[in-house]
Amino acid sequence: MGTAVTLVKDSVPTTRKARSAAPVTKGRRGRRENLAGYLFMSPWIAGFLLLTAGPMVASLYFAFTDYNLFNSPKWVGFDNFTAMFDDPRWRKSVEVTAKYVVIGTPLKLLLALGVALLLAQSRRGQAFYRAAFYAPSLIGASVSIGFVWRSLFSDGAVVDRTQSFLGFHVGGWVGNADWVLYCLVALTVWQFGAPMVIFLAGLKQVPRELYEAAEMDGAGPFRRFWSITLPMISPVLFFNVLLETIHSFQIFGSAYVVSNTYCGPADATLVYTCYLYQKGFKDAQMGFAAAMAWMLLLAVALVTAVLFWSQKKWVHYEEDAR
Amino acid sequence: MGTGTNVERRTVLKAAGVSAVTLGLAATACGGNGGTSADGTVTIRYSWWGAEERAKKINQSIALFEKKYPKIKVKTDFQTYQSFWEKFQTQAAGGNPPDVFQNAVGFLRKYDRRGILLDLNSQVKAGNLSLDHFRAGVTKVGEVDGKQLGVPVGSNTMALVIDKKVFERAGVDPATGWTWDDYFKALKTIHDKTKVPGDTGYFAIMYLYDLYLRQNGKAFFTKDGLGFDKSDLTEWWTDGYGRVKAGIVTDPKIVAQDQPKSSLSAGHGASEFTWDNFTVRYSAEGSSTYGLAPIPTMDGKHTGQYLASLMLSASAHTSHPKEAAQFIDFMVHDPAVGTIMGYDRGILASTEQYAAFKPTDTVSKEIAQYEDTTAKSGVLGTITPHPSGADTVEAAFLRIGGDLGQGKTKVTDAVKQFFTESQAAFQA
Amino acid sequence: MSATTTKPPALGRKHTGSLVWHLGALLILAVILYPVIWVIGASFKPSKDIINSLQLFPGHPILSNFKGLADGIADIKIWTFFENSLFYALGSVVGILVSCSLTAYAFARIRFAGRNLLFSLMIGTLLLPYHVLLIPQYVMFQKLQLVNTYVPLLIGKYLATEAFFVFLMVQFMRNLPKELDEAARLDGCGHLRIYWSIVLPLCRPALITSAIFTFINAWNDFMGPLIYLNEPGKYTVSLGLMMFRDSDGVAANYGGMIAMSLVALLPVLLFFLAFQRYLIDGMATSGLKG
Repeated sequence: MGTAVTLVKDSVPTTRKARSAAPVTKGRRGRRENLAGYLFMSPWIAGFLLLTAGPMVASLYFAFTDYNLFNSPKWVGFDNFTAMFDDPRWRKSVEVTAKYVVIGTPLKLLLALGVALLLAQSRRGQAFYRAAFYAPSLIGASVSIGFVWRSLFSDGAVVDRTQSFLGFHVGGWVGNADWVLYCLVALTVWQFGAPMVIFLAGLKQVPRELYEAAEMDGAGPFRRFWSITLPMISPVLFFNVLLETIHSFQIFGSAYVVSNTYCGPADATLVYTCYLYQKGFKDAQMGFAAAMAWMLLLAVALVTAVLFWSQKKWVHYEEDAR
Repeated sequence: MGTGTNVERRTVLKAAGVSAVTLGLAATACGGNGGTSADGTVTIRYSWWGAEERAKKINQSIALFEKKYPKIKVKTDFQTYQSFWEKFQTQAAGGNPPDVFQNAVGFLRKYDRRGILLDLNSQVKAGNLSLDHFRAGVTKVGEVDGKQLGVPVGSNTMALVIDKKVFERAGVDPATGWTWDDYFKALKTIHDKTKVPGDTGYFAIMYLYDLYLRQNGKAFFTKDGLGFDKSDLTEWWTDGYGRVKAGIVTDPKIVAQDQPKSSLSAGHGASEFTWDNFTVRYSAEGSSTYGLAPIPTMDGKHTGQYLASLMLSASAHTSHPKEAAQFIDFMVHDPAVGTIMGYDRGILASTEQYAAFKPTDTVSKEIAQYEDTTAKSGVLGTITPHPSGADTVEAAFLRIGGDLGQGKTKVTDAVKQFFTESQAAFQA
Repeated sequence: MSATTTKPPALGRKHTGSLVWHLGALLILAVILYPVIWVIGASFKPSKDIINSLQLFPGHPILSNFKGLADGIADIKIWTFFENSLFYALGSVVGILVSCSLTAYAFARIRFAGRNLLFSLMIGTLLLPYHVLLIPQYVMFQKLQLVNTYVPLLIGKYLATEAFFVFLMVQFMRNLPKELDEAARLDGCGHLRIYWSIVLPLCRPALITSAIFTFINAWNDFMGPLIYLNEPGKYTVSLGLMMFRDSDGVAANYGGMIAMSLVALLPVLLFFLAFQRYLIDGMATSGLKG
């Protein structure tokens, strides 16, 4: 949850530091340091090899095989990938996930930023509101809340009644293929507290003097927001965008629970990981599932790369931040 | 579940504080793999699907078994139908299937092909298991290519469950031998008079379509594929979707929301096709009175019905085939087990158990009577073991058929999709 | 919360402004907390009223939903699920604290060859979707006959695979003054001593934040237990909860399910009330410090 900004800022200086540190690591002391370093790192190294690197290689291999757990993996070249593109359900899962990410993430971040701006205006009660708004982020992923959501969005429950009262009757969202995805979107937006807390912390770091100076120049609130607040919090914004996007790509539990395990109706909540789960653990098409996982990895990597590339254009880092 | 596991877990909790290594080992010990302990006690693992009520009954039955065979311990675990087969598949693939497990006709060929199922004939010869005293040749259900891969615990057949109150209000009285035309007319009458859709979605139920096909001289499955073509299904689904649009079949949106409740018990439909032994669920879930009605026919006589069955099977990998067979034998023949289990898994299959259990509640009585009349009317055909992959096909039929009513796909596309997925399933 | 009492009341235009501000904030709060308040009220309603009654709290609250929980489900005591979840959550906390702090110490305080490479790899795993590892990890644990144990769920925590916490601790440790361990080093202390008696105590806030997050993540974890656990007696609360709703064939006990949902949420909510400052500060700083 809390990383990428620092990653960007850190990676360069760390490398420089390391270069200057290089001579120190030579000689006996250096060898002792190396030994100590690797000993301390040994759990991580074991975990990395055993649980990350190894499985990644295996997963890549499986992606090119026909493997149902009963047979031994049989090399099929790119068959899984071509089958994927021919599979309407796979395409549907891509569509559902893309919709979920593209609608849910901006809404969530907008709300987070909006409420953060509101809270930042007053210190009175801020801590209380901050805590209360944050709470959903902790419980939102639980099965309990999945059930609650399913109930609230059913026929005749509060959402349906409110909507009918406002004059556009839809009925329950849960059983409606056109609406059920928005039920999941609402669930992710509901958890806006986590990015909000980060926005709030970012807003606190914007120097007051900047606003005072701008006010003297006669800048209105909108202008102040546009030319001071936004650039100043852009690293935090970047961080939130990156993390929330990557996170939404991987939604599983809430779709599974809210849709009563079927990820329907009419595959309307068939998010990517849900289909991956069905292919792998229900149909035992492990090769296909592995290929799907690699496509997900590629998509996430691509989005990350684009975001990192774009940050040069809109993210402002203070040079003397450290 | 018992105190044993609790003690283990407490030990593990302590170990957690000590170190990662101890933790790993202790947790592994928890996993346990059925074996023979020092005093010659054999532990077998029995897995099944179902829910709370069945769990209680099975635990009671196992207690009886362990009393009679003090040297055999039975560990049990269960899931819902869907998760059961997911878990079973991965366990079987890992060479670690349960020693004894609940089974159904759609899975026999699939797991026989993969060498998972024990041919119980050897155990019958060895005298550990008896195939005598079964009702109406129901053991045939567990037979594939001369191998006895499962022993039935109870039999069931497709039925039409109706909301009696709604049917009465509409003045509809389903009679034996009624035709599909009669049936669809009835649905319309019900909807016109009571505003309740007549049925909850007949066209997505594979086993009902199977009956319809059988009435027309076909069947859903052949030995290795589908027994009908695209035009058959297009017709079936087009009609079904038309009836959703007309309002005489429940809107699938409502059906999706009512889950896990049935739309029949939720009052959103007046009838539902299902296995006769599932009838119990409706009275438990809903507030109306429910009853059984005959399956509609083409010719006023043949319903296409057959006796299906839940079975107990044993794993070909078990290290205790004898004990597994003794357990199956006890569970299917012991009269006391019959009284405990009742018709939970269908009408008791062995004559001993059938005689021992006298249903007292009206629902069970009605189920027994339904199967009895159906059997006596001589319409029962024989079931053939489904091809490998039938389970996936059934799920696809339910999903695609159910989704159809959402109006998101054209019928022709849905049919195409179903055939594509089926072909893949048969080959897998 | 403390700020409210210390400031003198504002007057005039500022006062109205503040009133509007609070009204706005309270309105959002009401919408946001509605589901949580709803589940509390619903758990005291009879099953048939849960969905359709708009009353937040029933006129005639009933306790039968909770009483039903005392009977357990399918001969399994509800407490068993909690015991399992507690085992999983606490086991995870221990693992994360030990393994991630060791790793973080190496990254932050030891200069060893290849540190930067490993650090980049660690950061890389942070962005890696877990699902890429899902299938092969499952196959591996299945071949090792470790499915249906807690090993697959816990082992990663003992091998520092949760990069987020390593990162959090690295950030924290880097900001500790270097002079501390240089002095200790002159006194002849090795890394183990420095780690144990100097760095760890100073890292308490980061450790507490990690511990709480780990606990809550494990408590909420759904996919892991879903895939790896087979026996209802070993289920965590998340899976136990699913049993209430999955009862195919038998009527779903809606009231019991909602009551159980509430009970399952309680530990997380209590944790939150007790430690919210650590959580929020941890969350806020992780994104900013560097």
